[in-house]
Amino acid sequence: MNYHFDWTPIWAARGLIAEGLLLTIALSAASLALSTIIGLIVGGAATARSRTMRACALFFTETMRNIPLLIHMYIWYMAFSFLRLPAFSCAVLGLSLYSGAYVAEVVRAGIGSVGRGQMQAALATGLTGLQAMRYIIYPQALRIIAPSLASLFSQLIKDSSLASVIAVGELTYQAGAIDGQTFRTFEVYITISLIYLVLVTAASQLVLLIPGSRSEAAAGRFADA
Amino acid sequence: MPDVILKNLPFLLHGLWLTVELSAWSIVLGTLLGLLVGTIRFVRVPVLNVLAAIYVEFIRGTPLLVVLFITYFALPALFGYRTTAYRAAIFGFVLFIAAYLAEDFRAGLRAVRPTLIQAGLATGLTRWQVLRHIILPQAIRRVLPSLFNQYVRLIKFTSVASVIGVTELTGAGLLINARDFHPVKILATIAIVYLVVCSALSLAGRALYAQFGVRT
Amino acid sequence: MTDQPIIAIRDLHKSYGPAKVLRGCSLSIARGEVVVVCGPSGSGKSTLIKCINGLEGYQSGSILVDGIEVGAKGSDLPKLRARIGMVFQHFELYPHMSVLNNIALAQVHVLKRTRAVAHERARELLTRVGLQDKADAIPADLSGGQQQRVAIARALALDPQAILFDEPTSALDPEMIHEVLQVMTELASSGMTMVVVTHEMGFARSVADRIVFMDAGEIVEDASSDAFFTTPRTQRAAEFLSKILAH
Repeated sequence: MNYHFDWTPIWAARGLIAEGLLLTIALSAASLALSTIIGLIVGGAATARSRTMRACALFFTETMRNIPLLIHMYIWYMAFSFLRLPAFSCAVLGLSLYSGAYVAEVVRAGIGSVGRGQMQAALATGLTGLQAMRYIIYPQALRIIAPSLASLFSQLIKDSSLASVIAVGELTYQAGAIDGQTFRTFEVYITISLIYLVLVTAASQLVLLIPGSRSEAAAGRFADA
Repeated sequence: MPDVILKNLPFLLHGLWLTVELSAWSIVLGTLLGLLVGTIRFVRVPVLNVLAAIYVEFIRGTPLLVVLFITYFALPALFGYRTTAYRAAIFGFVLFIAAYLAEDFRAGLRAVRPTLIQAGLATGLTRWQVLRHIILPQAIRRVLPSLFNQYVRLIKFTSVASVIGVTELTGAGLLINARDFHPVKILATIAIVYLVVCSALSLAGRALYAQFGVRT
Repeated sequence: MTDQPIIAIRDLHKSYGPAKVLRGCSLSIARGEVVVVCGPSGSGKSTLIKCINGLEGYQSGSILVDGIEVGAKGSDLPKLRARIGMVFQHFELYPHMSVLNNIALAQVHVLKRTRAVAHERARELLTRVGLQDKADAIPADLSGGQQQRVAIARALALDPQAILFDEPTSALDPEMIHEVLQVMTELASSGMTMVVVTHEMGFARSVADRIVFMDAGEIVEDASSDAFFTTPRTQRAAEFLSKILAH
């Protein structure tokens, strides 16, 4: 092995790394917010009484999940280029629709695991279906699914790396840039990997902050989404 | 079918074939490696166990794209060898999926009832025999649904190989687009192909799962 | 106040797919009456009372609650349910809220009372069921008997015209059944209209005005409490009584 290790250029490029890190976090946070909203709505629809609602929810989740994330991003970036959305927004939209479908599945399972009796009890006191969902079902469901949400958030952070392909200057993009400048290929990619590792671990711990979430269900760090 | 698709159909079909090849190799090799690593972690072979843990944690915390960059750029640079994008892609996919499968296998192995293991030992079987004849068969059956999930996931992930220049389905589509510029038609077609393939496989998986059921 | 029954069920039929669960049930409940519905498992008792407040649908027949047809297309079910309280076998308190909020929630969102008024009313009701010092506890901190008493308070919070009880003591350990029956007895003597599905025959005998006996989806006997226990008119009712009173 004739490779001469040299980590100093990596340290010298820490500004770029920091920029990339910031964008990765921004991308992930924005997508997390949007995909959670999408997931809550679609997941709720998936448990609705109306068969059309459930069918629509199923159509959405199947379609969004079975199209590769890379294709999602290209679609917003190239197919919808007439919208003139900045690359960052394209990445957020692609990530959110893709992850949203996964969140919807988790929400659907969570709602299903809140016993039927709770819904009946709520309705029996004169609450409408929507009120019952809002005050009784959703709060309980969210606590149940918190660990799964943690692993989905971790997955989101890793998926954000694909945004580099549509020229968003997040971490992976910067890694390529630094490699191009310094030719320290091994060092830069190992460093980036370790940074992702730290991010992902931190993310999974954050969700445990939700009060009442079942921490013993071992918030899996790494998603199997 | 849109003109641009018809015109480039052979190239696209070749891309689809590459996707299938990539997936097949990665699934087979990845499953073998994953089974090996998962078993090592379950049995807790000294030293190897620690290496396995490092490998699994590292890969599972790293994005697939970065793994591919490592197998295509970083490792060749480190060890001074040359590789094609195709081989690097398979290498990367195998490393990637094996880490996730290893965890699935490990969970499946741990889920086998201890009393069953004791029963096997009590009839005079050695630990390795018990592993081979009692634990593994049970674990594999339990683990099939999650394996299937990972396989479908992998097929979607093969699209990332396009970034390092492999002309599988996505790569092929992008090349065509670069020349003929019909992003909507090309991307829609590619999306539909993935949709059909992955949905069909998921459905098949669910049907298989319903057949085998979950026996505790 | 007219002598019109508050709940009038007429020729009710209900099926779950191919299985017939209710076969032509008719029942009238007057204001202030305490009616116990009893019978073997699977006789349709729980289904019947869940039809009254629209938690279960039905295929044919009619249910009039205070003059409103429950199964009608445009009927305002939430409004109707605010007038009829329900107590469930498994209490079904909301585990993510305090006892006080469990009782206050529907007051605020259905009756549009202010938080302050709702909380005050909740405390009054907690005192009535003997749990005034548990206002800030969460359901998980309470015993089964205590949870069910809170559930009764929750049902009372909307000032209902009647309360439906679906086997309120079946999920309780024996030593806690008494405290719940005590609350229900006090409720009955205060003039509340009650429909109670239960196996507690002691309670039925002493508190109920009428006993309705169901078997295999039909109302087999409907008599005053005294008459039912001393001279049951039908064979099936007599058999049921002998089995249940044997211990």
